[in-house]
Amino acid sequence: MTEVRAEITANVWQVQVEAGQTVAEGDTLAILESMKMEIPVESPVAGTVTSVNVAPNDQVQEGDVIAVIE
Amino acid sequence: MADDPALHDWKPLVKDLTARRSQALGMGGPELIERQRSLGKLPVRERIELLLDPGSFVEYGQLADSMDPVLAEQRGYLAADGMVAGVGEIDGRRVAVCAYDFTVMAGSMGGVGEHKTERMRELALHQRIPIVWLLDSAGARIQASSGSTFAAAGHLFREQVTMSGVVPQVAAMLGHCAAGTAYIPGLADFIPMVKGTSSMALGGRHLVKAATGEDVSEEEMGGSAVHTKISGVADLEVASDEECLATVRNYLSFFPSNNREAPPRRHCDDPADRRCEELYDIVPTAPRRAYDMYRVIHAIADNGEFFPMKPEWARNVITGLARFDGRPAGIVASQPKVLGGTLDVNSADKAARFVWLCDAFGLPLVFLQDVPGFTVGSVVEKQGIIRHGAKMLFAVSEATVPKVTVVLRKAYGAGYFVMNGTAYEADYIVAWPTAEIAVMGPDGMVRITMRRQLEAIPEGEERNQAAIAMAEQFRKNIDPYIAAGHAQVDDIIDPADTRAAICRGLAVAATKAVDRPWRKHGVLPV
Repeated sequence: MTEVRAEITANVWQVQVEAGQTVAEGDTLAILESMKMEIPVESPVAGTVTSVNVAPNDQVQEGDVIAVIE
Repeated sequence: MADDPALHDWKPLVKDLTARRSQALGMGGPELIERQRSLGKLPVRERIELLLDPGSFVEYGQLADSMDPVLAEQRGYLAADGMVAGVGEIDGRRVAVCAYDFTVMAGSMGGVGEHKTERMRELALHQRIPIVWLLDSAGARIQASSGSTFAAAGHLFREQVTMSGVVPQVAAMLGHCAAGTAYIPGLADFIPMVKGTSSMALGGRHLVKAATGEDVSEEEMGGSAVHTKISGVADLEVASDEECLATVRNYLSFFPSNNREAPPRRHCDDPADRRCEELYDIVPTAPRRAYDMYRVIHAIADNGEFFPMKPEWARNVITGLARFDGRPAGIVASQPKVLGGTLDVNSADKAARFVWLCDAFGLPLVFLQDVPGFTVGSVVEKQGIIRHGAKMLFAVSEATVPKVTVVLRKAYGAGYFVMNGTAYEADYIVAWPTAEIAVMGPDGMVRITMRRQLEAIPEGEERNQAAIAMAEQFRKNIDPYIAAGHAQVDDIIDPADTRAAICRGLAVAATKAVDRPWRKHGVLPV
């Protein structure tokens, strides 16, 4: 199980996956918005998304879990 | 009158010398050499052969032994006292080498071996040549130095500090190193680590267990994954001893032998004015969209070659070595792909250290800016971002080497300063038509300067629309042609001409000489 975490305090702009979906390593899970930039959150592993913990317009802190990949 | 031939019988003497030599060349013996190989490590003398030009090694102290009667009784002969030292050549240029032999008492630092390293440090400094450590050592030989004669120890690190910035210092991590042999890399300029077989830690696992009770392996505590990805102590993770030694040769090819020489310029077949139209595809004009700055660097450097330093740590800034028209240069580049290229504590640390390295040895600096600024907020303030940001300001301000800056897109706030904005003695600063140079972005401007006006508007859609309209007004003033119109940047360039502009800037600045007021040294933010 891999928890994918936010690396920076940000707003969630887009969520690009949903629970149950299969992803490859490097696939974009969500796009955060911080410091005038779109910051893609990529899956570090291939697997199945077991949960997505954020929704668009959510505020995340550094270290918050964005999604869990099994 | 001929002497009696018996008075000239040199054979037994030469034979004895030859026997002593071959005993020294036998290192810790076949069994321990075999064990060294089974661990995936090369014997020390093979490492030296791979590091140096063939036949160039002049060994010092080959016939050394521990000379410690107690140790001699327990362990017998200790080949070269576990330290193979000497001078050889890399690409025809001399370097001093200190290589610990793990097959001799785990490469521990013995009195005689350390006397040899002292001689190499002195020689490197007197000859003004680089020093290369090949580290595969358990650290201090505590069997021989467990008492308070320790009071006189420690000059090795002080001498390393004296050498810093005078001659290049490389510490190649080729085994598990603790304490003494972990501070040697800590004070060196460049530290490659072999994956899986090397580590460094102030305390080895047994000491850690005794001191704190923590049960941890050398790899978990100080392996290449820790030091190249998390701590930032090491510069590169390599796959094998062979790759590590080739990497050391490659690294030194960018550097002069000492701080009084110019970096070695190479003949270059890659045209200085080569157009790089692939940059149109690599970099989006949409300012919020990320891209990979490594692709930009490979497009513009001589033959697409780049030698990254600390690529896996603080990835939001890229540091490394390249050549432009044959001239070695250090590159400091924003990485929009990671955290949007925003600077934070570790990236400022990484960039400052790299700028100090290049400035010490006369390597020009090339800055590729696409920086939204420094990260703001309570998290980074607790990490001391002010002192880390100040450190980068300090390093870039101090650097007197030729400095060329290209603003690709964002150049906001102190990010623009530390990435060598005009005021930081940029010898040539150019911007792309997409450049956004300003103290902060339009949204920040609105939040701060228009706060009262906005609060007067009822909350909701109406206020949002007003904020957007205000931001649009501010955005109009963020235009590179305004900076160019005031001649605050030297030119606006077609992105495809970026390589040409950098080569031009470095050629223009090649004879740069800057004198500062005398001081002992500045007061460094760390």
